[in-house]
Amino acid sequence: MNHFLNRRELLIRSGAGFGSVGLAAALGEQLQAEASPQVGSASREPRTSNGLHHQARAKRVIFLFMNGAPSHVDTFDPKPALEKFAGKPPQEGNGKNREGGFMPSPFQFHRHGNSGMEMSELFPNLAKYADDLCVIRSMHTDVPNHEPGLLLMQSGHQQPTRPSIGSWLSYGLGSENKNLPSFIALCPGLPVVGPQLWSNAFLPGVHQGMEVDTNEKTVDRLIANLHHPNMDSEAQKKQIALIQQLNQMHKGDLSHKNLLDAHIDAMQTAFKMQTDASEAFDLNQETAATRANYGDSEFARSCLLGRRLLERGVRVIQVFYVRKGQKQPWDTHQKNNEGHRNLCEDADRATAALIGDLKSRGMLEDTLIVWGGEFGRTPYAQMNKSDDLSKAGRDHHHTGFSMFLAGGGIKQGFTYGETDELGMHAVHNRVHVHDLHATILHQMGIDHTRLTFRYSGRDYRLTDVHGQVVNDLIS
Amino acid sequence: MLRYFFAMFAVTQPVLLSDHAFANEKKTEAIQFFERKIRPVLVEHCYECHSANSKIIQGGLRLDSSEGMLNGGDSGAAVTPEKPETSLILDSLRYEGLEMPPAGQLSSEIIKDFERWILSGAVDPRIGNTTPTNDSEKNWDFSEERKKWQYAPLIKHQPPEIQTVHWSRTSIDSFVLSQLEQNEVSPNPPASKRDFARRVAYDLTGLPIAETLLNRFLDDHRPNSKNRLVDELLSTPQHAEHWTRFWLDISRYAEDQAHQVGNNDSLNYPNAYLYRDWVIDAFTSDMSYQDFIRYQLAADLVAPHEPQHQAALGFLGLGPKYYRRNSPEVMADEWEDRVDTVTRGLLGLTVACARCHDHKYDPISTKDYYSLAGIFASTELFNQPLSEAVEKKGDQAKQPSDGMHIVREGPPRDLAVMIRGDVKNQGEVVQRRFLEILAIDNKPYTNGSGRAELAESIIREQNPLTARVIVNRVWRQFFGKALVDTPSNFGNLGSDPSHPDLLDTLSVEFMEHNWSLKWLHREIALSATYGQSSHREYSKTIKDPENWLIWHVPQRRLTIEQMRDTMLVAADQLDSTVKGRSIQPDDPASNRRTLYSEISRMDLNPMLARFDFPDPNSHSAQRFETTTPLQKLFLLNSPFTINQASALAKRAMKTNGSDASRIRELYKMVLGRLPSEDEINAGYDFLKNEMKEKWQAYSHALLISNEMFILD
Repeated sequence: MNHFLNRRELLIRSGAGFGSVGLAAALGEQLQAEASPQVGSASREPRTSNGLHHQARAKRVIFLFMNGAPSHVDTFDPKPALEKFAGKPPQEGNGKNREGGFMPSPFQFHRHGNSGMEMSELFPNLAKYADDLCVIRSMHTDVPNHEPGLLLMQSGHQQPTRPSIGSWLSYGLGSENKNLPSFIALCPGLPVVGPQLWSNAFLPGVHQGMEVDTNEKTVDRLIANLHHPNMDSEAQKKQIALIQQLNQMHKGDLSHKNLLDAHIDAMQTAFKMQTDASEAFDLNQETAATRANYGDSEFARSCLLGRRLLERGVRVIQVFYVRKGQKQPWDTHQKNNEGHRNLCEDADRATAALIGDLKSRGMLEDTLIVWGGEFGRTPYAQMNKSDDLSKAGRDHHHTGFSMFLAGGGIKQGFTYGETDELGMHAVHNRVHVHDLHATILHQMGIDHTRLTFRYSGRDYRLTDVHGQVVNDLIS
Repeated sequence: MLRYFFAMFAVTQPVLLSDHAFANEKKTEAIQFFERKIRPVLVEHCYECHSANSKIIQGGLRLDSSEGMLNGGDSGAAVTPEKPETSLILDSLRYEGLEMPPAGQLSSEIIKDFERWILSGAVDPRIGNTTPTNDSEKNWDFSEERKKWQYAPLIKHQPPEIQTVHWSRTSIDSFVLSQLEQNEVSPNPPASKRDFARRVAYDLTGLPIAETLLNRFLDDHRPNSKNRLVDELLSTPQHAEHWTRFWLDISRYAEDQAHQVGNNDSLNYPNAYLYRDWVIDAFTSDMSYQDFIRYQLAADLVAPHEPQHQAALGFLGLGPKYYRRNSPEVMADEWEDRVDTVTRGLLGLTVACARCHDHKYDPISTKDYYSLAGIFASTELFNQPLSEAVEKKGDQAKQPSDGMHIVREGPPRDLAVMIRGDVKNQGEVVQRRFLEILAIDNKPYTNGSGRAELAESIIREQNPLTARVIVNRVWRQFFGKALVDTPSNFGNLGSDPSHPDLLDTLSVEFMEHNWSLKWLHREIALSATYGQSSHREYSKTIKDPENWLIWHVPQRRLTIEQMRDTMLVAADQLDSTVKGRSIQPDDPASNRRTLYSEISRMDLNPMLARFDFPDPNSHSAQRFETTTPLQKLFLLNSPFTINQASALAKRAMKTNGSDASRIRELYKMVLGRLPSEDEINAGYDFLKNEMKEKWQAYSHALLISNEMFILD
């Protein structure tokens, strides 16, 4: 029997495929002792101690993802030297589309707040929150292509075979509200790559991001199958009561408690979810002033909805800046300046509204905001058929770009890292995507090297064998 | 209202949290600490002069094993567990006394790590001489490795002595019973005939048992009634359909790519269904598993004149194509997919782990990896024109929709080992050949790409893994838990078999029966072990909660395929056409079996995704079974279930008679049984309500009740 028990322990350790870290109940929540037995084969003892790897600074995170990649030299990384080299093609490389040469940003940069953070004129609203932001000017990633760049930014790997960061967080921390999913992807239209960006890959299906099309405005169109199309809620209440009655009869005095009870509980939660989600997804419950503050674009609605969901305990929100039929609006290969003016106007207003809203609700301090794209754009022009500079675009650029963080225990009014004089390469305090991931997990109370999942013969993690927490960013 | 402190719900609770016994956890953590913080430093800074691989072992000190550290060298023990002050290695690292490593002092953080490691007991898993001495090139003792259960030759064991001799039905049973008896746990009594019929029909065909068949079985009181039932189920095309989906999880079947640039769908596989149909045919004819593998890896080479078998090559030909393919890095990723699917899928070995470094736990080297990757580097994906008439580009179909997506020979090439997986950092060129650990003579493959030879290496009877792996996978389909609980990892980090002699004996018998999967299904289905009830008696549950001893057949939830198909059957809507093009499973107009669903790597159908369908971007070892409120919302409110409920209600309304007789009819249609008095009364009470479409609402309730999709 001894041998058998040992093997059992071994099997529990290696077979069920769970992470090898013992975080106990997260954030003071009570773990429920009985899991669906097919999922968690080991018994789970309730634990009350703080089971995180270390004290969390953020309880939830919202990614504001600018699909297509914003231009760093037009937004957060002023490069006056571009004036001097305007029109001169960059020396390095032999890429096409470089004849236009370096292209100074037409946008003025000013210092804002007590911190004196420099931002371009495209962010008049965000500038008011300069002292809340932490801009990283030294981001870099592996390739200048959207698909692998997006996958790397969302899952830490260039091929579509790994779980997204939201799935990892859901797997590690669970949900704060059992009546809502722990991870929701808000996207008015599919971004490039698509659902792989919120895929659970080899993690259990429950950690998949729930996709919500924010083109829709009514709750029933936002969430598929939330309500019965032609049965009113009183009737459905009776129907569910009948189902549960039948389920209880079926269970009888059977001892297979776990499996059957899990189904009975899930049905009960589904019923609760119908009302809770209806309320959570209903933007009409916001005041007109709040809605006006955010604006009425798809992105603005996503931000406002994101705030409502975070407030109700959703752990991870991804907001994709896309539109119906426009999978990457920020990909300004043509008319970069005009494009950025329009895109930033929308993004600036809604992002600033979100920050202000979270602040006023006391939520910014434990909510981490991450803003940026899959890479940056070239400091030089991409000329198309015309040689009219005002119509020039900027190409993909991955060796140096900007992102910003806010809230969640991150330094405020802080600018970190540098690109070179012309904004070509991150040269000082470089931050790779893996480092960003490590830092985000760190703020959520997780050691990125210890959040693992045994799959295909080894322990996988979001950062694979890479990544360093950027301690300088943490307040 | 702010709601931050909700109790966690079972199914969404953080799973990494608390899964092992606490002591174990501590040990695991200590080993992890060693692996993360200590071993890499030793490998990088010390092994050059202090390991078995060193040209001269400096100072007689070896730091490549636990013993070496504890015994020390010329100056004494390098490490004294829990005593940093007497551990010489710390003095050396601090440059107090000896100054090590000589190239420069390591950071104070690293030194602190060593201090912490020694303080907490210097846990070091590198035991004895089996410890690899060089991280990038390990020296396995293959003759020792081959003694381990997974590589040991397959042996047909004598059935063990058992006390309750009459219990046994097939060759399986004495092995199971013997372990039960040794542990003093009695097997469960047999399941009722009704439960058994339902269970075996789902396991063999994926469908509820037909009423006529059920009644015939219930009325059959002659001996061997189970044999007749099982044989009848095995002879149906639905059996082949059901088991085809089992294989498609393994072969990561899909009809497109995870990426699509703009509207360019030229990388997609619109005729992927031809591969699926080939699998159905293969299972229908009970093709030997040897031929089944042979065709899928090399039909073009071994059967070039058998056009009906070329579709088998979809096993390789439907693999993912990644963005920016043809760049060396991306092709290296694609080869990894092929190596992974073949080795995990067919051999239960995680060879892809050896892409960047020798496998940490199993005797698989980077040379092994690149010798297999070379086979796939010598193989091209190919859209074979479906007819002479279609437009071609070269000899491929110009449009994917005009082609069958298979593979063909490319220029044969050997790959160089890519050091740390870096395509630009090339090491030794390795010839295409089989894995060293499984090879008999390990001659290089010389016939073109080597695919045909690879197939032979995999399916030859001396290969101890192929039969074990498939037998173990099939077992899991019947019992919900496999004998080796990590079906795609038979390596050292996988599970040991719960019944090793059973696994081996069944594998040998499987081979003796011409590698016949139908034989294997029959042998399992007719065993007393599989015939047990699902009842979980308290005393036995306490003793063996995980059912390692197989004292019962656990309850299971139906898969999404079984669930959707069952609803269609209950509503009498199922279109049972076998084979053909794919459907959308949630399209109310397509009522074919769920097997025929279009499978997308880019955007997996949400109905499938919601119910634990595996990600088709890579091989799936086994499905999870999660229970979520979103699943219930789908069952309650989706157009698909509402349609079936409506059709079911109409079916019931056609039967004339009282409410009670309609309720009875509904129970027969949905659950294959008559309702109890209480159940009829519950129905009465519900139908007394004033509401629209109450028969539909009632039918719907039955259709999504637990009994409908829980298998006893």
